[in-house]
Amino acid sequence: MKRNAVALAGLLLLSLAASFPAAAQQDEAMAKTTLKVGDVAPDFTLPSDQNKSVKLSDFRGKKNVILAFYVLAFTGG
Amino acid sequence: MQAYQADQAKLDASDTVVLGISIDSPPANAAFAKQIGVTMPLLSDMNHKVLTQYGILKKYPMDGDEYEWARRTTIVVDKEGKIQHVEFDNSAVNPNNAVDVCTGLHDKEIK
Repeated sequence: MKRNAVALAGLLLLSLAASFPAAAQQDEAMAKTTLKVGDVAPDFTLPSDQNKSVKLSDFRGKKNVILAFYVLAFTGG
Repeated sequence: MQAYQADQAKLDASDTVVLGISIDSPPANAAFAKQIGVTMPLLSDMNHKVLTQYGILKKYPMDGDEYEWARRTTIVVDKEGKIQHVEFDNSAVNPNNAVDVCTGLHDKEIK
């Protein structure tokens, strides 16, 4: 009886996991992320909307920087 | 991005700049900035280099195909270049936490 209950619980968990592929995908994305508080942010240089080069390390010693990564322009921002 | 614009006074007070980053082209970002009325730089990571470096390139299915764009992420980098705060997805829409972290960093600095 107890064994049956455990098996049932296991089955329930399995079916739950299978019904949430989005959550699984999210975990995968999380696993790839190596960002940790306290680590040095990887430096980069990228072109701005005004076609100017912006380098993260140029702000060092001067400004705190919030990096706001957004999915796509024109989609709520 | 508009929410950050609304917090401009707090950002200025805490010595903080906001950089928006996506895979859009500079002309698209310029049009986007104009449309929503924001003045912070919007940066183009068109070849996914930075998104890959930061581990936040995410797959999005569309019409049976798959595309890789940014996962919505907010990161606070302090004046020493160190990461102080990271937020993902829906939680990263609201800038309040990130702005508070910057205010805290500034308060600590002037003490």
